[in-house]
Amino acid sequence: MKDFMEIEAKTIDEAIEKACREYALPREKLNIEIISEGSGGFLGILSKRAKIRASVLSIDMDISGPFHEMPRSVSKDIPVETQDVNDIDIDMAETSRKMIEGILSRMGFPFPVSIKESDEYILLNIKGDGSGILIGKGGQTLDALQYIVNKALNKNGKERKRIILDTENYREKREKSLVTLARKLGEKAKRIKKPVTVNPMNAHDRRIIHLALQNDKELVTKSKGEGAFRKIIIVPNKKG
Amino acid sequence: MKELVEYMVQALVDEPKMVAVSEITGGQTTVIEVRVSKQDLGKVIGKQGRMAKAMRVILDAVSAKYHKRAILEIVE
Repeated sequence: MKDFMEIEAKTIDEAIEKACREYALPREKLNIEIISEGSGGFLGILSKRAKIRASVLSIDMDISGPFHEMPRSVSKDIPVETQDVNDIDIDMAETSRKMIEGILSRMGFPFPVSIKESDEYILLNIKGDGSGILIGKGGQTLDALQYIVNKALNKNGKERKRIILDTENYREKREKSLVTLARKLGEKAKRIKKPVTVNPMNAHDRRIIHLALQNDKELVTKSKGEGAFRKIIIVPNKKG
Repeated sequence: MKELVEYMVQALVDEPKMVAVSEITGGQTTVIEVRVSKQDLGKVIGKQGRMAKAMRVILDAVSAKYHKRAILEIVE
């Protein structure tokens, strides 16, 4: 058998299927490289065929094999303890730290993580490089990581402890800027004597806005909308 | 990229041994296909696709670093 095979077909999917048949192996055991993506052309005229190069994966990825024998390209070997988490009572903070470090190293950001634990939550602080790449637009990357770690560790049954991720003091800065925003919009609502709508936000951010304005007697805050579109409306009191 | 997805998915599911991740590398775009056992499918997708979205956001952050694009496909 040759080291690799070049296969042409109408679409990439078809080419991959063909490769699987040729090697008589499932897709997972093949290494597929796309040479040309192909295009439909116009009414079949000028259509380009998709071309791939397929070879058998050098390391046999036996999916039934033990978990830790999966090939890894990361040198730092952090054990995955997901299987133990549910039944054996191991330190949740330490497990969550290992997990986030595992994700970060595989993302190409091998940053150290420190733990701060309280009764209600575990705060994991990632010592970033200051680039903000882990925070993302409006904190979306940091929130995504936090969501995954929470789900992975609290997956079976009762909610244990909330895990909060932070880096470069982002959470505190975000809270400050949200409070400033809330006050500004609150003033606007009073001035124009009309309700002011705040952009959709997640539950955590909405809570900060509600709390920032709860002592203002001239304003009432309400939430409207469903799911990711839920947003706050700041309403001036009738008397005001 | 593949190791990253594999690691995250295996941490989320009940049957990590059933997780199979494959990577199709093109010039600019990488397609990552995830297969899990049927019971675990919901865990990987999440409520309203929230988990799939979260993983895509993370892939986007990594892709931005390498100036590439990554597409995450969850295959039934």
